[in-house]
Amino acid sequence: MVNTRSTPKPGESTTLWFIKFITGPILLVVAFIHVVINHYVGSIGGLLSHAEVVAYYQSWYIPIMEAIFLITVISHSLIGLRGIILDLKPSMSLMRVLDWVFVLGGAGFVVYGMWLLRAVTALGGA
Amino acid sequence: MAEKWNITLVIRRQKQGQPPFDQEFKMEANPDENVIDLVERVWAFHDKTLNYAHACHHSTCGACGMRVNNVEKLTCITPVRSVVADGGTLRVDPMRNFPVISDLAVDMGELYRRMELVGHHPVNLDRKEAIQSEFRPSGPAEPGEDFIRLSDCIECGLCMSACPIVGSTGDYLGPAPLAGAHQAGVKGNPGLLELVSGVDGVWRCHSAFECTAVCPSNVDPGWRIMELRRIALAEKWKSWFSPNKSAEVRK
Amino acid sequence: MNTSPNLFARIGRWFDPRGRSLSDYGFILNRLTALGLTLYLFLHLIVLGTLAQGPDAYGVFLEVIENPIMKFGEWLVVAAVFIHGLNGIRIGMNSLGIAVPRQRETLIVVFILSAAAILFFGWKIFLG
Repeated sequence: MVNTRSTPKPGESTTLWFIKFITGPILLVVAFIHVVINHYVGSIGGLLSHAEVVAYYQSWYIPIMEAIFLITVISHSLIGLRGIILDLKPSMSLMRVLDWVFVLGGAGFVVYGMWLLRAVTALGGA
Repeated sequence: MAEKWNITLVIRRQKQGQPPFDQEFKMEANPDENVIDLVERVWAFHDKTLNYAHACHHSTCGACGMRVNNVEKLTCITPVRSVVADGGTLRVDPMRNFPVISDLAVDMGELYRRMELVGHHPVNLDRKEAIQSEFRPSGPAEPGEDFIRLSDCIECGLCMSACPIVGSTGDYLGPAPLAGAHQAGVKGNPGLLELVSGVDGVWRCHSAFECTAVCPSNVDPGWRIMELRRIALAEKWKSWFSPNKSAEVRK
Repeated sequence: MNTSPNLFARIGRWFDPRGRSLSDYGFILNRLTALGLTLYLFLHLIVLGTLAQGPDAYGVFLEVIENPIMKFGEWLVVAAVFIHGLNGIRIGMNSLGIAVPRQRETLIVVFILSAAAILFFGWKIFLG
């Protein structure tokens, strides 16, 4: 039987699956807090106004929680998406390209999210 | 006198290199006979060109796996009354994910090769930790008890046909070989553990549990795959926190 | 194994509900919600950029999402979060060897809890 893909990097899948596994419960808790506060307690039909968002991010622990949310949600979703693509039997060369897309794209969105977090937090000090 | 139902049997026909088509057969059926009996009657009295695999007729050989009304069944133990009503239509298709040789007969060679690769043995010396207590009528094994048992897996391929992931990536080892690997034992067999915890191993499973639902032999491949995951995670955990010990295991 | 060379046929195989067991519907829903939530996540991150552009830009964004169609989309996202999250707990437990023989019953619990949450948040979004 040809099982070339698992032979060169046999440990890779367990590690990635473990990251997806461990980020799941973290996400569930942090996403619940994020959704309830940002979508259901604000003054605009439950949504926070711009001033409320800025005020919300002034507590020291909120940006930390949102940063954890950002990193875990991007990791979890991209590892999951990679798994779905692997279920479609991609060629090894395509998978190598996609792995770079996931790593660079994921890192890009984390950097963008951190910048946004910092920008919104800084608005409160202005 | 035996009860008689009038049913329509629809069989998916396909000869190599030709497009598939459905063929209908109106027939009388005893609701207590099995689906394979109907297929055999079609061959005996209607069309000698119908191809299908069969042998033991008592769920031991695993040859007569087919899809009955879109569900994978071992047709020798599938009573007609369990899958159709009087006056109804019964549909029989070949298993999915295997190359069709002719009509309902599929090429199972790849499954057998994978079973051999993982070291599946039809007769196992199983110890208590390898068996779910609920499958043992006598309950959990006594401490130190060993026993010889026939392996449950009859290599019928139903789980390979039902699994949605085998249907989208043929490289995935699949439920039967992974269950075979679990029965063969991955602890103390680093090569096998590497195979089952690799990209095409247990992480391709997404818990549809179709394998367990269609298994006619109580192998419960879904449970065995989850057990393999647990073992793979435990071994990975050990390798992170005690790399020396892990290296010793690999030797 | 013999898989279709057609990519869409292989994707369709995941979502074909004919003759499937209850647990397979768990898989189908998990996969659909995973794809939906991933798409939503990245769109959400992009549009949140309006926060940095100031109150006016963010106000326009808020007006857009007050649209009933967007509200319905928001409800779908909440539904997907609950289905995917609760089923994820079930799969995670199973992968540690917990409750595997009861995976079907735990899926029913997942469906019931998700349905309750979906109804509650539907009420909050549309009537609350």
